Amino acid sequence: MSAVNSTKAAARRSRWLNLGSFLALLAIWFLLTTSLFGGPLVKPLFLPSPVAVADTFLTLVKNGYQGKSLAYHVGISLFRFGLAFVLTLIVAVPLGLWMGMNESVKAVLDPPIEITRPMPKLALLPLLIIWFGIGEVSKIVIIALALFPILSISAMQAVRGVGQRKIQAALALGASRTTIFRRVIFPASLPGIFTSIRVSIGLGVTMLVGAELIATTAGIAFMAMSASDFLLTNVVIVGVLIMALIGYLLDLVARAVENRVVHWGGKEG
Amino acid sequence: MTVLASTAKARFEGVSKRFGSGDDAVQALEPLTLDLAENAFLCLVGPSGCGKSTLLNILAGFETPTTGRVLMDGVPVTGPDPKRGVVFQQGALFTWMNVAENVAFGPRATGKSAAEAARIATHYIEMVGLTTFARRYPYELSGGMQQRVGIARALANDPEILLMDEPFAALDAQTRELLQEEIKRIWQETRKTVLWITHSIEEALFLATEVVVMSARPGRIKARLLPQFALSADPAVVTSAEFVRMKADIFGLLREEALAAQKQEQAR
Repeated sequence: MSAVNSTKAAARRSRWLNLGSFLALLAIWFLLTTSLFGGPLVKPLFLPSPVAVADTFLTLVKNGYQGKSLAYHVGISLFRFGLAFVLTLIVAVPLGLWMGMNESVKAVLDPPIEITRPMPKLALLPLLIIWFGIGEVSKIVIIALALFPILSISAMQAVRGVGQRKIQAALALGASRTTIFRRVIFPASLPGIFTSIRVSIGLGVTMLVGAELIATTAGIAFMAMSASDFLLTNVVIVGVLIMALIGYLLDLVARAVENRVVHWGGKEG
Repeated sequence: MTVLASTAKARFEGVSKRFGSGDDAVQALEPLTLDLAENAFLCLVGPSGCGKSTLLNILAGFETPTTGRVLMDGVPVTGPDPKRGVVFQQGALFTWMNVAENVAFGPRATGKSAAEAARIATHYIEMVGLTTFARRYPYELSGGMQQRVGIARALANDPEILLMDEPFAALDAQTRELLQEEIKRIWQETRKTVLWITHSIEEALFLATEVVVMSARPGRIKARLLPQFALSADPAVVTSAEFVRMKADIFGLLREEALAAQKQEQAR
């Protein structure tokens, strides 16, 4: 019980330290850009003050950017990411599970996945634009290509990492192959799958931004890139912060789902 | 000597096991014949690596013998079967299921309805004294409680033979003693045929109707003893003169084997 309490105390302390470090960064930003001591240290062109950025944010919410509302830019970005993520998830995870269960399937699918895994997928974007044009398809494909190896290989490794004793126990209890997969191997693989989901959210957002920097007319990264052409530093920073927030919130959601679904993860019993 | 029926419930016939091939091959078991009598509580003791667990895994159907065969009720064992329940040392509980779900797993897997399986689970959870923990998850339980869950889960299929691979080896001495008394009570109640593997001579004498001492690798049967303490309900039998004498006998036998095993280790 005391161990539980001390972890709680440690968690509380960590939260205060997190908050403190965040406030310190904000304070530094403020000090670098304030005019209180006779002119800002850094010119607003390079780094506008937090207040100016907040102002810009409110203006963007009210007026939108280049004829489209801010919500639209955020929405289209989330749509691209969400669609690519869900499509990849529902293909890659079952395929990975299958590879983990079946040596022949692994022998067939492992080489193409392993060979293309180290390739930086963003390098394929010019080719994808020739193939699919500059619409939504090329963006979704590039994100899917980046996430596919992570999700499929992790699912495969999660299956192969399931304790032999748990499978033997299920066999001795009279479970069929399907029951063993459904009630033992699949749930036992979930913690590994969730870890890869969280990794792929980070990577997916990165790929989204990469794809939106090139040849689009909407999206939150497009907004930042296009504002940069006009030296609208305020807008660029709003865009960057929104992208950071999106990444952070998506991870938060994934972690909440993970804690709910695999509350037993990492705890042996 | 024994007051129990002596028909063989299971029989190892010339069973040997060799792991690997070529120069790296290890002979884990010499050809060995052994009867597991109906309603017997047979304890296998022996030094580490003597093949006790291999023997159990072969009867469970997890491994196949290199030579010989294993029969249960005269029928060769070809794979795992719910008629043979297995309890492992640790790490075999389904961590994503609570206690009730773990125990109900066997009945569900063997075709019982959810309601029937839940009723069976409740019964065995009560038998091992975990009723108030039925909704807890394995990681919320102590090591001793986890082993109780493992025992209840194996019993829930009402197996004809229980195979227990050092089930208490990872527990502290006090928990272990309490669980030994409990296992004795459950065995006296159910009279399942049990094959039990242990390092502990006292545990073997306290629980078993038959103790088989195995030699260092490659495993052979070195001695068979028929202690009488399993039928006693008195935890104090362990201090009786007879108990102490048999303990010293087995200790002597095992010491020779442990030294032999050590020599093997050093020779490698």
